[in-house]
Amino acid sequence: MTLKRQLGLDILAGKYSYGTDPVTGFTSAQKIPDRWVATTCGYCSVGCGMLVGVKDGKAVSVRGNPDHPVNRGLLCPKGLSEHHTIEAETRARYPLLRKNGKLTRISWDEALETLVAKFRGVQKKYGPDALGVLSTGQLVTEEFYALGKLVQLGFGTKNYDGNTTLCMASAVSGYKRSFGSDGPPGAYEDLEKADVILLLGANVADNHPILCQRLEANQSKILIVADPRVTKTAMMADIYLPLKPRSDIALINGLIHILLEQDLVDRRYIAQHTTGFDALEESVRKYTPEFVSRITGLSQEQFLRTALLYGHAQAPFIGWTMGVNHSTKGTETVNAINNLALVTGKIGKPGASPFSITGQCNAMGTREAGFTSSIPGYRKFESVRDREEIARLWNMAPGRIPTSRGLAYPDIVEAALAKKIRALWVIATNPVVSFPNLGILQQSLEALDFFVVQDGFHPTPTSELADLVLPAAIWGEKEGTYTNSERRVSKVNAAVPAPGEARSDFDIFLAIAETLGCREELFPDWHGPKDAFEEWKCVSAGRLCDYSGLDYELIEKHGGIQWPFPTGATEIATSRLYTDGRFQTEDGKARLFPIEWEPFPEQPNDDYPFVLNTGRTVEHWHTRTKTAQVAILQHLSPNAWLEMNPRDADALKLQPHAHVDIVSRRGRTSGVELRITEMIAPGQVFMPFHFAETNVNQVTQSAFDPFSREPNYKQCAVRVEQTPPSSTKASGFGWFRGKSTTAQERRP
Amino acid sequence: MQLPLLERVKKQGITFAMTPRIRSGSSTGTYCAVPDQSITKIPQRPLAHGEQYRFHFDMTKCIGCKCCVVACNEQNGNPAHINWRRVGEIEGGWYPNTQRLHLSMGCNHCLEPTCLTGCPVDAYTKDPLTGVVIHNAQTCIGCQYCTWNCSYGVPQYNSERGVVGKCDMCHNRLAEGREPACVGACPEGAIQIEIVNIAEWKRNYAASANAPGLPSADDSLSTTRITLPASLPPDTRKVDLNRVRPEHPHWPLVFMTVLTQLSVGAFATIWLLQILGEQARLNIAALVSLAVGGLALAASTMHLGRPIHAYRALKMWKRSWLSREVLLFGLFSKIAFAYAALLWLSWPGSHVAGGLTVFAGVAGVTASACIYLVRPRPAWRSRHTVAEFYLAGALLGPLLAANLGLGARQWLISAAVVAAGLQLLNLLVKFLWLVSSDIFELKASARLLSAQLRPLLLMRCVLLVVGGIVLPLQSQSAVSLAVAFATAFAGEILGRYLFFVSVVPKNMAASYLSGRKAAA
Repeated sequence: MTLKRQLGLDILAGKYSYGTDPVTGFTSAQKIPDRWVATTCGYCSVGCGMLVGVKDGKAVSVRGNPDHPVNRGLLCPKGLSEHHTIEAETRARYPLLRKNGKLTRISWDEALETLVAKFRGVQKKYGPDALGVLSTGQLVTEEFYALGKLVQLGFGTKNYDGNTTLCMASAVSGYKRSFGSDGPPGAYEDLEKADVILLLGANVADNHPILCQRLEANQSKILIVADPRVTKTAMMADIYLPLKPRSDIALINGLIHILLEQDLVDRRYIAQHTTGFDALEESVRKYTPEFVSRITGLSQEQFLRTALLYGHAQAPFIGWTMGVNHSTKGTETVNAINNLALVTGKIGKPGASPFSITGQCNAMGTREAGFTSSIPGYRKFESVRDREEIARLWNMAPGRIPTSRGLAYPDIVEAALAKKIRALWVIATNPVVSFPNLGILQQSLEALDFFVVQDGFHPTPTSELADLVLPAAIWGEKEGTYTNSERRVSKVNAAVPAPGEARSDFDIFLAIAETLGCREELFPDWHGPKDAFEEWKCVSAGRLCDYSGLDYELIEKHGGIQWPFPTGATEIATSRLYTDGRFQTEDGKARLFPIEWEPFPEQPNDDYPFVLNTGRTVEHWHTRTKTAQVAILQHLSPNAWLEMNPRDADALKLQPHAHVDIVSRRGRTSGVELRITEMIAPGQVFMPFHFAETNVNQVTQSAFDPFSREPNYKQCAVRVEQTPPSSTKASGFGWFRGKSTTAQERRP
Repeated sequence: MQLPLLERVKKQGITFAMTPRIRSGSSTGTYCAVPDQSITKIPQRPLAHGEQYRFHFDMTKCIGCKCCVVACNEQNGNPAHINWRRVGEIEGGWYPNTQRLHLSMGCNHCLEPTCLTGCPVDAYTKDPLTGVVIHNAQTCIGCQYCTWNCSYGVPQYNSERGVVGKCDMCHNRLAEGREPACVGACPEGAIQIEIVNIAEWKRNYAASANAPGLPSADDSLSTTRITLPASLPPDTRKVDLNRVRPEHPHWPLVFMTVLTQLSVGAFATIWLLQILGEQARLNIAALVSLAVGGLALAASTMHLGRPIHAYRALKMWKRSWLSREVLLFGLFSKIAFAYAALLWLSWPGSHVAGGLTVFAGVAGVTASACIYLVRPRPAWRSRHTVAEFYLAGALLGPLLAANLGLGARQWLISAAVVAAGLQLLNLLVKFLWLVSSDIFELKASARLLSAQLRPLLLMRCVLLVVGGIVLPLQSQSAVSLAVAFATAFAGEILGRYLFFVSVVPKNMAASYLSGRKAAA
């Protein structure tokens, strides 16, 4: 502090001065930019349009794009402070290679050569599939498209998956099974046009707050929220269904049971557009109100009311997120939801749709173009026709296209543990925080011969363990497109250059291809993302996710355009899939599946009496590599907490704000602040998953959906103990801290 | 299958959502179902006479996303820990009928702004046109008195700048016809600017300005209108009730108040001895007391964010107790200087000067105590504060005089012992008052003192008894008296420290999380 400041002659008047921005008006002078760059938010999949204010080459402010069809100028707290992520101290700036146990700065040339040599070495010795790749939902579609080709065709390994498997994979598998293809059928507009909105395991108020304005705008709707926890969203509901954990299948089957009884189904639609009805009808017979009530814990009245509301609705909307997906029965729950929509014929109509509200900003992009769980353009590995088609488009022999999907994310981790995978490349994801039952992952990472992390941030708990760290540009520093939950493709633009020697993931992929010697074959005449986009347009042409009528300029002009948008399309209206009742199956009919309710795998007992639920908070994004670096978000949500019902806390003699340990058969999370609240039912506890310092994934379970391989994050059995006073160090990664501010500074 | 419930709900006339109101999409193709709300978010007509702007907060719409907080910080370039708009949580009910509601609040732009009335330098104005309570950072000297005077915790001290800052309703944006940052950022349209008729509001504010989790609007006549849900669970309360932390100690003020009281007590002793005919060493005692007083005034400037502008604090003596304190202690020090000089020079008139010194000093201590008698800090707002301040002087003054070898030592010691006894009594009575109170802030203060601060409270009592009673009664040797004074002085310093840290201010509900690492 200077003497002038200490005396009070200086009050930092310059720093705290105001000015008038020609566009946004009177505001803090330091936030007034020289220019605004239009882009799309890089956090979640709502896909809000925004403008980044750039001053002297730095991103100083953001604002919602008032002309963007998704958010109309509004942003959530993460979006409103997103420019601060760019300036984070923990940005990765230089390639680093582990030398004598220490990560040491190297040149890009050395980094690329090392990567290719090590990967090729491992593949030569142990076979091509000894290389595993774990990507993300955070890159632009152009990068996903390039990465898929590079991994599957360049490196020639099938063992490539994304962290989308920790997130939306069950929705993908469910859509594929029911409709013959991935692709959310509905649109956000449906939230405004529906007369009944049923949200299952979806806490939009915390996780997709910008969608809430649609709910607010729809004054005539009835909002039904089913969630074991009284979330912010549940509190907004007209009817809240506090069902027992993982009893949603019973609820849905019960609804179908009542609809059949009351003849509130659309028999004509069923006959014309679906197959498998008889088996479904048979399977829901036992889901009587008594049975459903016993399993879900709902009163028969609540349940019947819901059934009749849904049955009489003209435009019912079913939205879901992780409460459904994060489950060993995730895919089947999605099928049950689709069953419900199909038997009533409520799909592809304004307001009426089953609709997965996606997680990451571009999870949709990797699903469409990414070459992980399908061939780009929602093509099937199993289909000879699809393989031949893509080979023709890529001008290569059909034999080069893999005939089956490689290992999924959790299976890649297990294969590494079994030494079947020897080298791993992790891109823009942080499994050491996000993977369930972390102990397994840590062992498997230790077992690797070579471990590469490519990320915008370093150190992260994952990049700390890497042999090679590749510094990448992040949101705000690169160009491409994101696709949001409602299939809307929006443009992403660079506002500022990446720090240090960090390069866009796109550049890194092309440079690796160059080193590998396959750039000309896979990426002929590619220079920038636009070249990838043009090729992807051709590849997607004629598919459900048809991009062929889009181009960058058109997208920018409209803020975002939904696919399908085939060549020649001009209508930029809200679109829905399956409006004609024709699905992507061989016979064009949707599949109905008999789905059975089963209890979740790890039931509580005397030693582990609580069911642990996990989730999010509005201030943070995933593993906090970004949001922990944004001082205001970290200030508003500084640490993890464990929610417990007062009755349980009384029994355990625990006080509010006590620090507790959560213990499962697999591990212990220590020093978590206890929140005693009636938001959570007796016998259940809830903890957010964002915090590396107190990581809930030290206790979660290795149980995965058989179809989607998505982890069962939402239920496992734990006990809760008061943290012993002697344990001064919180478990996990004590070094990984966000920017801290002290409340005491307020009143010096 | 029988569906008796269907029959029942039909008979009871429960209607289902068979609404035909499915609005058709707009013909232009682009999405525009949400109307542009900005027109209704700020007033669309000029203010008439007797009107002002105010916030309207619709609690039924708020989803607790805290966009308003982030937008406010961006708008004003504030660091993360200073939030001119805050979001608190209140909660009630029983699973599954639980309600957690959020309370978003900036400044309430009160009709009787207590921040303004307390300010010693006139840094606050209530804008005559808009009614917005505006703080001027250039005028502010960083005394932080306004932060004690607001029941809502609205003005916040920025230590980086050395001045306070607060929400000004983005009145400069309003003047441009734009909505304030928080209003514009709210995805739910839960915050608006409205026009309020002042006279009408004065009559009817109670129903709309109060909410669970908010201090009473009576304190300063908040203008913010709050729309509450139609029904709230009866036990709806702040979620941070169990998160009571010691307040900032304000060390310069701990020393300043104890030292001024010591100085005034010492001068009173000197003057009384002089009246009673004692003469020996009065001049030395006066000089020492003057030095103590000087030290106290020096300490007081250390408290300011902008010490160089300390003199400005004199300005609002007609209104602010802080100005009055500065004025009276200023007078006290000058008259005391004259008194000491007269004593030293043995000039006539020292009796009168002494009397004036004591008068100014006692008045200064009174003003000093009155500073703390503010509504937003209930534990301070009692006669115990006044008593504690007087008794500190009554204890330490005679003890200092006895140490300096003034006459009538027996009387001095008796006076000190009596004062110490009364101080102890005052302490005990205050503690009992806090413990037995139903008011949250007082109870919480008692909880702090009996849990986290208990060792310090016990030590404070021990120091008081040992230094003020046991040692002076046991031996009157010079060493013993010196130890007694040091002990008693330490006791008063510790007592004042506890005075500052154990107060629990009124405030709006906060969020639950403590933001602290696991307790070691």
